[in-house]
Order: sequence, then C-alpha cells, then structure tokens
Amino acid sequence: MIITAVLTLGLIGFTFAVLLAFLSKKLKVETDPKVDQVNEILPNINCGACGFSGCNPFAEAVVKEGKLFNGCLPGGSQINEEIAKILGITATKSKVEKIVVCRCQAEVGEKKISTTYKGPKTCKASHIVGGAIDCTWGCLGFGDCVKVCPTGALVLKNKRIEVIFDKCIGCGNCVTECPRDLFEYAPFKEKMKLCYVACSNNEKVLGVKAVCSRGCIGCTLCTKVEDSPYEMKGNLSYVNYPEAKNHQSLDAGKNKCPTKCILDLNV
Amino acid sequence: MTELILIFISTLLINNLVLSYFLGICPFLGVSGKIESAFGMGMAVTFVMTLATSISWLIYHLILVKFNLLFLQLVIFILVIASLVQMVEMFIRKFSSSLYQSLGIYLPLITTNCAILGAAIFMVARKYTFVEGVVFGFSGGLGFSLVLLVMAGIREELDYADIPKVFKGTPITLITAGLLALIFMGFSGLFSNL
Repeated sequence: MIITAVLTLGLIGFTFAVLLAFLSKKLKVETDPKVDQVNEILPNINCGACGFSGCNPFAEAVVKEGKLFNGCLPGGSQINEEIAKILGITATKSKVEKIVVCRCQAEVGEKKISTTYKGPKTCKASHIVGGAIDCTWGCLGFGDCVKVCPTGALVLKNKRIEVIFDKCIGCGNCVTECPRDLFEYAPFKEKMKLCYVACSNNEKVLGVKAVCSRGCIGCTLCTKVEDSPYEMKGNLSYVNYPEAKNHQSLDAGKNKCPTKCILDLNV
Repeated sequence: MTELILIFISTLLINNLVLSYFLGICPFLGVSGKIESAFGMGMAVTFVMTLATSISWLIYHLILVKFNLLFLQLVIFILVIASLVQMVEMFIRKFSSSLYQSLGIYLPLITTNCAILGAAIFMVARKYTFVEGVVFGFSGGLGFSLVLLVMAGIREELDYADIPKVFKGTPITLITAGLLALIFMGFSGLFSNL
C-alpha cells in the first residue's frame, strides 16, 4: 500500500518534472541580456515620457533598434549616457530639460465659488458640467493631475496645485490629464530663476475680476518693462522663455503685476 | 445533453464557485480593480480550470481509482494544477508574447487558486463523467470570470461615488461582494419547477 502510493506519487511527479524540464528547454524564449541591463538602470517609474508605455517596453525598443529615441527624461543625461554605453553608441544631447508650471495658483477665497458641486469628485467630471468654481478657466482643485504624477511632484493644498520643482521630471502626464489645460512647460535652466504667469483666464478685465481676485486681467503692464520677456496672447500674458535673458527683466514685469499673479519658479 | 446544459447553467449562476462556495475570494477581491485586468484573469482561470479538470479526471479515474489510492487525491491535484500552470505559461510565452504580457502576471496567481482545486474536487465528488467534468470546469471558470467582471465594473464606478470615509476601500468592496452574493442567491429559484 505504502509502496504503491509512493511509487504513484513519485512517478506522476517525475513525469511532470521531466515534461516541464523538457518544455522549458524546448520553449525557451531568447531574451537579450542587454534589455535586463537597461531595465536595471532605468528609474522604473513608468511615467511614459519617452513615448513608450513604460520602462520595460522602452528598454526593449532601445535594445532592438539600437537608438535612444527621445531618451529617458526623468533619468537625465547620466542615465542616458549609461544606456548608450551598453548599446555601444554615443548619447545624443538630450532635449532641453523642462518642468511644468500650473497656470492657476488661486486659492479658495481668491477664486469665487458660488455653486455647490455634488457630482463625482474629479476634475474631468466637474469640468463637463461647468465646474465646481465660477472661473471657467481655472483649477478645479480635485487633483486629477496629482493621481497621474509618477514622482509625487504635485501637491493639492487648499484647492490649489503646488508643483514641487525638484521632483518634477517633465513627463507631461499632467499636461494631458488636466481638462482645463492649465499646465505649461517651462525650460529648466540652472541657476536662473524663472517666472510664470499663474492664470489661464482669457476674459477681459471685468470677466476675470468677477470670478477671481488673482487672475491676469490683461493690463499689459508686464510687457512694457525694459527687455520684457512677457508677451500678450489675447487677454493673457505669457512668458516667452527663449527671450528671457536675465532675471531682472522677469522680476521687473513680475513686480508690475497689479494682481500678483506672476510668480517665481522656486528653483 | 440536458444534463450538460443543467451543469453549465447551475455552475455558472446558481452554484457559482465564488459567490456560493466562496472559493477564489483572493483574486476576486485582488484583481477586480480594473475591468481590463479582471478580464485577463478571468480568461486565464477559465482556461486553466478547463484543462485542470480534464487532466485531473483522467488521473483520478485511470490511476487513483485503479490502484485504490483515493487518499492521494489532494496531493495529486495540487501537483497537476501547479505543473499545468507552469506549462501553460511556457506555451503562452513562446507563442504569443502579447497574450503573455496581458495574462502573464496572473498565471502564477492561479497556481494556488483554491477555486481550481475546488472545481477538481467537486468534479470527482459529484461523480461526473469526463465530458461533464470538462463542462463543469469550463462553466466554473466562466462563472468566475462573470463575477469578476461584474465586480470590476461596480468597483470602477465606486471610485467616483461619494461614500463615507470609513467605508472607503476594502469595507465597501466587501459590502458590495456580499450584496452581489445575495443577488446571485436569486438564481437558485431558476430550476425549482423542473
């Protein structure tokens, strides 16, 4: 009895073991060891800034095609050079590193809220019905962007999005996620403070004043300082970053702003 | 034929493995966050369950019954299921890398899925014939997928619902699961007049 039991179990186990060993040899999938090497270097946060769905597909494509495509944005130049070394190519200079700024920095109290919104607590849903705030351009404050940020660079405070500039890698997930297109890329230049206009409201003065005390009212004062890097598009001021040569002109325009909606990028 | 259809419907709805036997609760709660992954898991379980019931039937009736070793049933079934999953994984990886990427992570989970072991044990306990056993395994897997998909659909909607803070997350999921089981109890009246 014991012998038959042991034999049966042993035989069945042995059969499966042989079968599995045989199949694992027969069905072995060749993987390039370079893919694993590249995978190890990558930050593995799957942000998708490279244009692939994640780090692993990026590594596979890089090894297969033998080129860096747009490179790994969060990795920075160091990681891209390491990947290039594995592939045996020289890393092309990566694109201008950039981060995002949120073009609405009004808090509750500054942006008027005269309706009670009781729908699903997401920006996308509230945007469809006209929003949870009076301003039809500004930040709805439910933090859809916070959820898609792979590095936790966005923080929701008092219905206002704060970008932690050290953490932002410029992957652009928030740019595509925001239903009100509030995020704008700003070129990140070291040792140079940048300013940005923290408002997206393209209405005229009265339209802005009616809904927010911190909006850009289109007064054009910032564009009139010396060497001004600011320019008007409709009723809204924008920083023309390639033109921004020094911080003085940026600062001068910022100080002129009557509603204090031009802010420093705290690098 | 009527017998097969009866087995199919009763396993799918009335005696659903998840909601009336409480088997496979772990993936039921774990993988039901998104419809996409729920579908992948459901298909993988259906496939493995059909295969596992048929192979277990053969081994049970051709080897265990013959040598009077019925007490080995549990060990053998686990062995069969684990090896099967490994084999299926290898095959999928070799022949369809896209299917492997969508199913791949769920396959190792199935190795220790009690719903599959449960299906194999139920099958021999109810003395099904081979065809009945295969139909039972297939419909059990389908029933699992069905419940998983329904749950995933509800949970995706729940994300947007305004629920009290204490119920957020697992509590509301468990309540939903309970209500779902209650609803499926309604199917037990399906065959009462037969």
